[in-house]
Amino acid sequence: MFAWIRTLASRTRTLFSPRQVDQDFEHELETHLDLLTDENVHRGMTPEEARRAARIRLGGNTQLKDTNRELHGLPFIETFFQDVRFALRMLRKNPGFTAVAVLTLALGIGANTAIFSVVYAVLLKPLPFTNPDQLFTAFQANKQQGIAETGCSYLNFEEWRAQNHVFSELAGIVAHQLTLTDGGDPTVVNTSVVTSELFALLDVKPLVGRIFSPQDGKQGAPPVVLVSEDLWRGRFGADPRILGTSINLDQRPFTVIGIIPGAFHTPFFTTKQEVWIPLVQDPVFSTRMPQRASHLLPVIGRLKPGVSVAQAQAEMDAISGRLAAEFPAENSGWTVRLVPLQKEIVGDVRTALLVLLGAVGLVLLIACANIANLLLTRATSRSKEIAVRTALGAGRARIIRQLLSETAVLGLLGGAAGIALAYWGVKALSSLLPSSLPQMNPIRVDYFVLGFALLLSAIAGVAFGLVPAMFAANADIQSSLRESVRVGESRNRRRARSFLAAGEISLALVLLVAAGLLLRSFSKLMSVSPGFDVQHIVKADISLPQFQYSEPRQWTAFSDELLARIQSDPGLQDSAIAVPRPIADLRVTLPFDIVGSPPVSASGAASRTTSYVSISPGYFHVMSIPLLSGRLFDQRDIMSSPRVTIISKTMAQRNFPNQDPLGKQITFGFPPAPGVMHEIVGIVGDVRDDSLGQDPRPMVYVPYAQAPFWGANVVVKSTLSPSSVAATIRQEVQKIDKDLPVTDVAKMPDLIDASVAQPRFRTFLLGLFAVMALVLAATGIFGVISYSVSRRTNEIGIRVALGASRGTILRMVLRETLVLTFAGLAVGLPCALAGSRLLRNMLFGVSAGDPATLAIVAITLAAVAALAGYVPARRAMLVDPMVALRHE
Amino acid sequence: MPADKSEILQGTLDLMVLKTLSTMGPLHGYGIARRIEQISEEALRINQGTIYAALVRLMQKGWISGAWGTSNNNRKAKFYSITKTGRKQLSAEARSWERVSTVIGRVLRIAERG
Repeated sequence: MFAWIRTLASRTRTLFSPRQVDQDFEHELETHLDLLTDENVHRGMTPEEARRAARIRLGGNTQLKDTNRELHGLPFIETFFQDVRFALRMLRKNPGFTAVAVLTLALGIGANTAIFSVVYAVLLKPLPFTNPDQLFTAFQANKQQGIAETGCSYLNFEEWRAQNHVFSELAGIVAHQLTLTDGGDPTVVNTSVVTSELFALLDVKPLVGRIFSPQDGKQGAPPVVLVSEDLWRGRFGADPRILGTSINLDQRPFTVIGIIPGAFHTPFFTTKQEVWIPLVQDPVFSTRMPQRASHLLPVIGRLKPGVSVAQAQAEMDAISGRLAAEFPAENSGWTVRLVPLQKEIVGDVRTALLVLLGAVGLVLLIACANIANLLLTRATSRSKEIAVRTALGAGRARIIRQLLSETAVLGLLGGAAGIALAYWGVKALSSLLPSSLPQMNPIRVDYFVLGFALLLSAIAGVAFGLVPAMFAANADIQSSLRESVRVGESRNRRRARSFLAAGEISLALVLLVAAGLLLRSFSKLMSVSPGFDVQHIVKADISLPQFQYSEPRQWTAFSDELLARIQSDPGLQDSAIAVPRPIADLRVTLPFDIVGSPPVSASGAASRTTSYVSISPGYFHVMSIPLLSGRLFDQRDIMSSPRVTIISKTMAQRNFPNQDPLGKQITFGFPPAPGVMHEIVGIVGDVRDDSLGQDPRPMVYVPYAQAPFWGANVVVKSTLSPSSVAATIRQEVQKIDKDLPVTDVAKMPDLIDASVAQPRFRTFLLGLFAVMALVLAATGIFGVISYSVSRRTNEIGIRVALGASRGTILRMVLRETLVLTFAGLAVGLPCALAGSRLLRNMLFGVSAGDPATLAIVAITLAAVAALAGYVPARRAMLVDPMVALRHE
Repeated sequence: MPADKSEILQGTLDLMVLKTLSTMGPLHGYGIARRIEQISEEALRINQGTIYAALVRLMQKGWISGAWGTSNNNRKAKFYSITKTGRKQLSAEARSWERVSTVIGRVLRIAERG
């Protein structure tokens, strides 16, 4: 049916020319009246009688016009515009109220929108790949060894690919850094080492050129490389002729076959990857391809359409079973764990983000309560206006609609200001975000986030408008109209205001407790000693190209020379090498056995693992890690001498209780030689090498000379500036080999800082929200009490006139404040306890129900509330009884 | 509000206006009102103003059109005439009206007998 469309169109037209319609109709009615009058005159009436009869016959003039207008127009929209116009007028008339309300709301909505934009980008928005729901990670797990998540060997990966029927494709991916020597100074590039299926699996289209083909992954294929758009533009001037030419990675030529768009994020890695090469071409990882025990590859799979996770898991379990039967030495005990890719990428950030979103939601709730309170105050002074409207025939619904239009306009104004604030807030947030936060999707205020903000402001507008509107519409017209100057406030309304103020206190308490707990936990975290001296330590990473430095002998030769050169510089004597260095992204964990006690695999006990660090002799001295007993490494410990190790205190206490570990032997090592015998020659203090928040794990140190790596992390203790230290190291490295880059020069204190970026981020934000909540709640209390005082001026005057002392008045008002506050605290406390339980996993050294935090927060809140109530109380105290009595 | 009145009455008046315009040709509001009253032999004495609500509705549906002209005694008046779609609508409505009234008549007769 088109009829209603035509109707709508014709009605909408009228919106723009209402006067014309009215005039036309008046003409028609006029003619009609004239004709009727003529007819009546014909019948013999006097002209006056005829006119009167005609009027009656036609019907009420005004009513007819109203009906006509309604039929022509869109009455709902018209009254809406009328309401909006009126609302804007009312808001203009009260600039103070409007400013406070809009500002409060803007803060609330702005903060919510900003946090939501992060939550949306990280948690809600699907990963930027084709059909992201089908993407899963497949990790290997081993319950007996206590390993929840690790990669799978390349040989197993091939079996998985060949045997499964549930994934349309599987791909493996690891990353490290290679040295690029083309297009400028030698530099280290973030390199993803992938099986050739990855890009096809993720459905990535290259900007130019092609992605890897299955042939590129075969043994003996020519080395090829995919280059990121950023690297291509930044280093190669976006020259399309780079395709087909070769670039040198670790001084080996790779042919460039394609450019990967800058928007592509390699799953698992928060850092931007710059080049991608096939696994078979990688100098390090390709050597481990034939090792079935080498847990090399994290695997991504794309489920076939229609296959459920349960089916896939069942299939992978069956394959694991077959592999364990076929290769028991490497595969028994190992299972496969499937996790949705998005969940895996987001990891434990989820809880923190949701807590922040909840917290910022509470702030908005408090803001709404505040505005509702302001509106209630205003509604009281407007009850006369509303009574007049009611008397003139406005229905209850009509009045509620008008008041709600006002608050909706207020909500939208606040929302608009909030969105502006959010744009700025997102920018500020982006600089604060910890780099470890996964950002597969860009964090910004996009349409979805805008929609959220608008919805939020609309809901807020209705939420804080509904209560006052209901009260206003229920008002007793008679009494409102009768009261001349003082308009009475109903008991219910006063109760509603007190309820709102107390509610604000409760909500603020929840936020303050959460912030207090995080703050205490963070300060505890920061006061934890990492176990080594962080001051004046600078570290620099150097990685050796695999093809030139393929022999361990070369690695030691390089590091010996480097260390000798650095140490000969004045001010840099205290230098050492450690791989991996403390607070690194990477850590090496190895299983070990104690010679003379039954091996773990035989006894069936949980496996023993230890962290592993290879160091040069001066390391403990440079880092100020104390030697507890035995000796340090020295010149004796070289490749040809017996293997020795120094263990940490925790390692000693856990594995050698009530014994002297010195002289005992333990076996550990990298595959393919996992059982190398090491004699314990020393015990050193514990180090929190992973993060400050985690207890020190058992550690073994080995001499670099006996266990060299293909790179070196140099740590230098120096009072010189970090940049001059870096310059010297760079200089010395280039003197040995001009093609070697030095990367990641950093001060140790900065590294420690970076390692606590996430807790700092959430503590800062939650603290900010808690302060906002505190201020808002204090304003709320202040508003309620000062309004109550101003309404009771008369009563107070009488009291003073009858002999009440100023102290009595002060106490009376303060009592009102404290009753509100304590009611709020009483309700808020259990909520705060329940809320803080959500934080459990984010706390360090503080329990979720920490009584000290609760007490301090409650006292602070009560004190602030009392202060907010004291200001109006003082005003009440100073009331002049004469003025107050005349106040009428 | 027009919605407050019963739909049947509204529809009936609309139908009568359409029929009047289809038999009489262009007429102004007064003419239509008079004509309906005459045909119904003054049994249907409507509040003549209500005719205008019907006219607006019919205009909006596109079943009639209006144009300003001059009445016999030289007054400016708006003359309404039925449109093509209006005629189609009229025959459809008339048929359904007849059907409904037949059915209702039959039901009433049955009720009397029963």
